[in-house]
Amino acid sequence: MELFDYSLFVSAIRMVSPILLAALGGALCARVGIFNVGLEGLILAGAFSAIVGNHFTENIFLALLTAVAVSVLVSLLFGYATIHLKSNPIVAGIAINFLMLGLTTFALRAIFDVKGAYYNKDMSGLPKVDIPFVEDIPVVGQLISGHSPLVYTAFLAAILLYVFFYRTVTGFRVLAVGKNEAAARSLGLKVTTIQYGAIIMSGVLCGLAGAQLSLGQVTMFTEGMTAGRGFIALVAMMLGQSHPIGIAGSSLLFGLMDALSIRLQGFSMPTQFTAMLPYVITIIAMFFLKDRGSDSLAGQHTSR
Amino acid sequence: MMLPQRLHKLFTPLIQPLLAVLIGLLAGAIAISFVGEPVFETYKAMWEGAFGNFYFLTSTLARATPILLVGLGVALAFRAGVFNLGSEGQMVLGAVSAALAALCIPGPPVVKLLAAIVAGMLAGGLWALLAGWMESRFKVQLLISTLLLNYVAVLFASYLVAGPFQDKTGSAALAQTPMIDQGAWLPKLFPGMSVHMGFVIAIVCAVVLIVILKYTAPGYEVKMLGLNPFFAQYGGVNKVKLLLLSMFFSGALAGLAGSVEVLGSQYRYVDGALTAPGFAWTGMMAALLANSNPLGTVVTAILLAALETGAMGMERNTEVPLEVASVIQAVLILFISAKLTLKLVKFRRKEREVHGTV
Repeated sequence: MELFDYSLFVSAIRMVSPILLAALGGALCARVGIFNVGLEGLILAGAFSAIVGNHFTENIFLALLTAVAVSVLVSLLFGYATIHLKSNPIVAGIAINFLMLGLTTFALRAIFDVKGAYYNKDMSGLPKVDIPFVEDIPVVGQLISGHSPLVYTAFLAAILLYVFFYRTVTGFRVLAVGKNEAAARSLGLKVTTIQYGAIIMSGVLCGLAGAQLSLGQVTMFTEGMTAGRGFIALVAMMLGQSHPIGIAGSSLLFGLMDALSIRLQGFSMPTQFTAMLPYVITIIAMFFLKDRGSDSLAGQHTSR
Repeated sequence: MMLPQRLHKLFTPLIQPLLAVLIGLLAGAIAISFVGEPVFETYKAMWEGAFGNFYFLTSTLARATPILLVGLGVALAFRAGVFNLGSEGQMVLGAVSAALAALCIPGPPVVKLLAAIVAGMLAGGLWALLAGWMESRFKVQLLISTLLLNYVAVLFASYLVAGPFQDKTGSAALAQTPMIDQGAWLPKLFPGMSVHMGFVIAIVCAVVLIVILKYTAPGYEVKMLGLNPFFAQYGGVNKVKLLLLSMFFSGALAGLAGSVEVLGSQYRYVDGALTAPGFAWTGMMAALLANSNPLGTVVTAILLAALETGAMGMERNTEVPLEVASVIQAVLILFISAKLTLKLVKFRRKEREVHGTV
C-alpha cells in the first residue's frame, strides 16, 4: 500500500465536505459577531434526523429536508439564547453540544430501540454523482467525479458565500454587523434579523454536514458520530479567517490530515501526531493572523 | 425590618439557579414521558441512584471530585476575567504526568505520591501558562488557544501511553500505563467505597480559594481585574502578571483533578478514561452554574455529579436511557447562562464609556 495515492485524495475530498459545510456555517455566525461553539451539536442533530427522515419517509430528499429542518430548529434555540436571552454564546454553544449529544442518544433508544448505533441495510444513502465527460479524464475524473451531491454542494456553498459576502449589498450589511454592531444599528440595519438569518443559515449548512456524515459514506448513525468534527470545523474557520475561500483551503488541509491519519494506521505508525497537526498549524497561524483574527471574533471580549 | 432584607439578599441570587433547575427537570420529565415511563418514579430512581444509600452517596462524591477541582480552576480564571476553555487538556496532561511521576520517581511510596501530585499540578499549570503567555505576549486569543491546546494535550498523552510508556505486561495491548505501586495510591476514605482522599483535597482547595479571593490582596486584585480591567490597571494592578498567575493556578487545579483521579481511583493513566466522562466540560458547567463562586462550585459539582450517577442508577432500574442527565444538564446551563451575560453586557457597556468609543 502506498502512503500517497489517488484514493488518499479521494477520501480527503470526501472528508472535507462535512467540515467545510459546518465551517462555513460557523463563519456566517462569526461574521455577525457570534462565536458558534455549538457546531458540533448542530451537525449531530443533522446526522441523526437525516437517518430518522430516511427511516420514516424512505426518500433521500425528504431525509435531507428533515436534517436541515431539525438543525435549523436547534440553531434557533441557540439564537434565542444568545440574541434574546443574551447568554454568552460560548456557554450556550457548549450547552447545545451537550443537549444534542444527550437528545440524539436518547432518541436513538426511544425511536429505534437500539443502543450505540442504528443501521438498516434497506436504507439507501446519498447517490453518487458521476459528472459526464469529467469522469473519463484519467486522473482528474477519479478525483472529482463520483462523490455524493453534498460534496459538490459544500464547495459550491463556499463560492456562493464568497460572492454573497463581497459582491452583494446584503453581504456587506452582514459584514458590517460583525465589524461594528452599534454602528450598523445606528445606520438602521436590522441587526437582530441579520443575526438570526446567519444563525438559521448555519443551521442549514450544519444539517447538510450531518446528512453527509450519516448518509454519505455509510448509511448509519452512531452515538456521538461527529467525533469532534464540529470543533475541527471551528478551527478551520479560525484558520481560514472566516473567509469562505480561506475556509475551503483550511478544510481541504484538515480533510487531508484526517485521511492521512486513517491511512497511517495501516502502517502501524503513531497517528496522534498527524491528528495533532491541524491544531498545531492553527496555533502557529494565530501568531501571524492575530490582528485579523480578532476581526472574525468581534464582540467576543470575554478573553480581555 | 432587618430580617426580610437579609432574607431578600440571601435568596435573590438563588432565584434564577432554582428556576433553571426547575426548567431542567421539566425538560427531563418531557423526555422521560416521551419514552412512556412514569416521571415521578423515574426521578425517584435517579435520586436513589445518587443518594439512595451510603455506597451510592460515596460514588457521587467520588465522581464530583475531578468535576469540583476543574470547576474551581475555571472559576478562578473567570474571576480574573478570562475564559479558560482548556481544562480538558490541562487535566489530561496533569493525569499522565502524575501517573508517570509515580511510576518513574524512585523512593518511598509517600515521596512518589507527593511527587506525582506536584508533577500533575505543574504540568497542568504550565500548559495553561503557555496559553496565558501567548495571550499576554502575542495577543493570541486565550479563548481560542486554550481550546486548540486541548487537542494537542489529549493526543500527546494518548501517544505517550500507546507508545513509549505503554503497559506491556498484560496480554491485550491497551493504551494505558502500568499500574502504580499500591503505596502511592491515595487512600480511600471508607473501606470498600469509591470516594478517596482526593475529595478532601478538593474541599480544602475550595476553602483555600475562598480565603484567597476574599481576604488577600492578590485575590482582591484578581476580582478587580475580572470586574473591570481598566479600573484595575488604573489602580496599579499588574495585569500581565496577574493573568499569568491566575492561568497557572487555574491549570494547576485542573492538573490536580487529573492527578487525584489517577492516584485515587484508576491507579494508572488509561487513554480516554478522563475525556470520555467529560469531567472537564462538566466542571466548567459547575463553575458557570455557581457563577464562579468557589463555595457554590462545591454544591453545583456535587449536584451535577449526582445527576450523572443518579442517571446510571436510573438506567439500571428503568427503561429510561441515562442520557436524560445530559439533557437536564444542558437545559440547566442554557437557562443559567442568560444571567451570566447580563452581567457581562453591563460591564462591557462600562468599558465603552471609559473609552469613549465603541
